[in-house]
Amino acid sequence: MATKIRILSICGSGVVTSSMVASKLKDLFEEKGYDAETVEANSSEVESCCSRQQFDLIAYASPINDNCGIPAFNAIGLITGMGEDEFMEEAIAALHKAGK
Amino acid sequence: MLSKDLIRLNLDVKNREDAIRTLAEDFVKAGVVKESFVDAVLEREKKSPTALPAVAYDVAIPHTVSAHVLTPAMNVAVLKHPVEFQQMGSPDITLHPQVLFMLAISDPKDQLTLLRRIMKMLQNKELLNRIRDAKTKDEIYDLLKPVVEE
Repeated sequence: MATKIRILSICGSGVVTSSMVASKLKDLFEEKGYDAETVEANSSEVESCCSRQQFDLIAYASPINDNCGIPAFNAIGLITGMGEDEFMEEAIAALHKAGK
Repeated sequence: MLSKDLIRLNLDVKNREDAIRTLAEDFVKAGVVKESFVDAVLEREKKSPTALPAVAYDVAIPHTVSAHVLTPAMNVAVLKHPVEFQQMGSPDITLHPQVLFMLAISDPKDQLTLLRRIMKMLQNKELLNRIRDAKTKDEIYDLLKPVVEE
């Protein structure tokens, strides 16, 4: 049974790049045995998203001011393909720390 | 989606704004975006830059929110001289894109396959090099057809 996680994917417009990142994350986490649900938003919506829902991780392609206490990682490496492994290692370490 | 009118070879631009304006106006002429797209994409690039240190060389993927888009499309410009863009997610880093891919996305859920293919293209060193080194628009068109085709 795959562990369910919820990821907030952030980019400048909350549309294009965050959708690319989100679809990539779903694939990568599936390989690692997670069932990832994603929410796409722009960088000014982080706080309001976090007040409405619980997230396990934030992946950002646009700088964020506040991570609301949620482990947040720069997602550029997922788009360029360079730094994908590092992203996943750090993200999974953060999930393990949270008991997921 | 992609037509030869939306491909620019050896584009000679002074700076980032000049480059983005040229491509955005090509989109307007092709009827794939509203006129408001031009200012929106310029503004968006200032606030949230879109350059990426891609595997072959720096690229940029200027885009903006769907409200300004009529039909999904992509255009491509191979620059005569790289111009300065800021890196996506790290605006304090300056990159020098050699190729620009401007995106007009009207519905990211509907166009997810396209977005995934574009991301794959950005990770394909050989394909990126062939796009940059292409001698004709036809060559670029043929290289990108598999990316943008339904």
